[in-house]
Order: sequence, then C-alpha cells, then structure tokens
Amino acid sequence: MSRYRYSVYGIGVASDAPLALPAYTADRLADVECVTAAAAGPLADLTQAGPPHPRSWYRHASLPDGSTYVRWDGIGEFVVAADGQRITHRQLNASSFESFQVYMLGQALSFALVKQSFEPLHATAVVVGGQAIAFLGDNAFGKSSLAACFLEAGHQMLTDDLLILRPAADGVIAYPGPPRIKLFRAVARRFLGEAAHRGGMNAETDKLIVPIDGDRRCSHPVRLAAIYTLAAPRDACRRTDVSIEPLSAREVFFELIKGTFNRRLISRQRLERQFSFVGALTERVPVRKLLYPRALDRLPEVRSMLVADLQRLTFLD
Amino acid sequence: MTVSISNRIKAAPDVLFRLVGDEGVLLNLRTQRYLGVNPVGARVWTILEPGETIQAAYETLLREYDVEPGALRLDLDRFIGQLVEHELIESADGDPT
Repeated sequence: MSRYRYSVYGIGVASDAPLALPAYTADRLADVECVTAAAAGPLADLTQAGPPHPRSWYRHASLPDGSTYVRWDGIGEFVVAADGQRITHRQLNASSFESFQVYMLGQALSFALVKQSFEPLHATAVVVGGQAIAFLGDNAFGKSSLAACFLEAGHQMLTDDLLILRPAADGVIAYPGPPRIKLFRAVARRFLGEAAHRGGMNAETDKLIVPIDGDRRCSHPVRLAAIYTLAAPRDACRRTDVSIEPLSAREVFFELIKGTFNRRLISRQRLERQFSFVGALTERVPVRKLLYPRALDRLPEVRSMLVADLQRLTFLD
Repeated sequence: MTVSISNRIKAAPDVLFRLVGDEGVLLNLRTQRYLGVNPVGARVWTILEPGETIQAAYETLLREYDVEPGALRLDLDRFIGQLVEHELIESADGDPT
C-alpha cells in the first residue's frame, strides 16, 4: 500500500517508500504509483524481449503485456505498466538512494508519462520575473550549468532535465520538477558555492545531485515565456560571441521534435500526438536559438542577454 | 512512382501535414520521416493534396508568383521528386505507384 503522496511535474506520485519530493496537492494532471519490488526474483520475464540495447549499462525492453522494462546497471531496474499508472522498482546495491531517485523520477517516470499521453521535453527551466524560460538541448549541452548561473543571480529553479507543459487559455504552463539539479562539481562550486560532497549520479559521470530547496525553487506552475534551444557544444566551441538568433517556424518545429524526451518510445500513436503537440507549441511559444562559447565565466553574460531578450518578448506580448 | 504533368496526385496514406507559420511540415507515419517545406512548398501542397493535376497546380502558381515559367517548372518538378522520395504522395488517377 502506498503511504506516501507527493506532487511533481503536476503529477500525483504515490509511493510505498519516502521520496525527496514536494507534498501532494489535489490539483494534478495524472497519477503514478511507485511500488517497491520484492527483494528477490526477476522483475520481469525478458526471455521474449530480444537482445539488450547496445549501450552496455542500459537496457530497455517492451514486454508482451505492453509494459516496459528499463534497467541502468548499478542504479536500478523498473517495470512501467502499460497504462503508465504504476512503476515497480528495485534499487540495485551499488547506487545511492539519491541517484536511484533521479533515475526513477526522471527517466523511468518519463516512460509512464509518455504512456499516459504526455509529451515531456528534454529541457531545464528557471523562473525570471514570474515567468518560466526553458533551455532545450541534448545531454551535455549545458542546460543545467546555465540554470545554475540563473540561480546564482537569485532566480528560481523550476525543473531540471524534464519539462512538462500544458496549454492554457492565456498561453502555456510549465510545471515544477523535483527539487534538485544535476551539475558537474566545478559548476556547482562556481555558481552555488556547494561543497563537493554531494552524491554522484552514477559511475559513468562525475555529475553531482544538488538539492534545491527553499526560496531557490519555484514550487508552483508558471506561464512559459520562451524556449531557447542550445546549440551543440561542438557547434559553439569556436565562437567568441554570445548570440540569440531567430528560427523559422519549421526550424522551431524540428528543434522541438528533437527536444522531446525519451525518443526510445516510438509508436504511430505517439508520433501523431507529438506532431499535434509540437505544432501547437510552435504557434504559442517564442523559440530562439542560443549560441555561446562554453566557458563558465561567459555564462553571466549569457544570462544578461537572455533576461534582456525576455524583457523584449514580454513587452511585445 | 513516376509522374507526368497530367497526373493528379494526392497525399499518401499515413501522411500528416501541418502549416506552421507560413511554412509546412509533413510526416509519413509509416516511414517515420519528416519533411519541412518553405512557404511556396506549403502552398504547392495545399493546391495538390486534394487531388489536383500537376499541370493545374503549375498554372495556379504561375498566376500567384512573379516567376519565370521555366524556373517554376524546374522547381515544381524538383519538389514533386522530393515528395515521391519521401513517399508522401501517390497517384489519384488509380494508376499503380
């Protein structure tokens, strides 16, 4: 029985074990139950599931009943029910509970969200002047580092790495994620002054999991003012200037399609839904391309330009 | 699929189209391939998709755009070729594709 109840991404999460999440609120978009699996025995019958994913420490398999098995070596394994309403999980011995929660409430939960017809974006968002701005980009594009620079200036964290959006009468609403941010040690020290003793994410990276609490986080949904797609570091590495560039409507569409979370789950139904969702988002939210040299000491300049750009957008709105 | 100027063509099954701004995006749900088109391409699609002949589309475009006829014909042929390559269109004449 799930004794603990929380809210994250606008979703009600019921759990049989305590989680580092905000308290439950009655106003929510959907529900997911997280259930601890028995200590022994296989979590799922994978004999019909086909060969493992080529990436050695990650495995993903579709099961005959429509559920999905996901595993990260050294972290945990999960079975996400076909309807997305339940995640059965087992933490693996090598992982910290912090690290395990990051994967359960990010990657594993994304499978549940997609099965419940949500379209999460691979984005990090902060709140500036009461509105959210989102940074869209693949892993290691600098989304979290840029967000940390905003936190340094007193702005609030909304969500790191996974963003849930919903249309509303006067725009698009962005929902708060778990109260933490994943940062490389040097970035955490530079912008948050954090001691280098936080938990690591996994053995493959030296990223830390840094809690964000109190006034540093925004715990309620806010209107989304703009999305900035981050150029890949390899495309920006020779730049000396910071620029915010316009995108044509179809460029925006394709940037948003590329930015949808968990592209492993592909089905006709999902493609149709994405086409509609992203098409609508293209029409409702300004999206611009952000290019900047990847040096930590340039991020305050990037922050200033984004705040100025947001002020122009707000004035024109 | 081979096309001539007198062919009527239509959207292939499982193809989605959406205007975004004054441009367009197409998705073939079966092949999972996308194609983005500029404003002229979006206009061509909206003319052709209901089952118009390529010749009629050409004449409509010639009236709407200030363009040299030969250049328009070349661009139209190129665009039709892209749509065929992406399996986004099929014959509306009942001809085998």
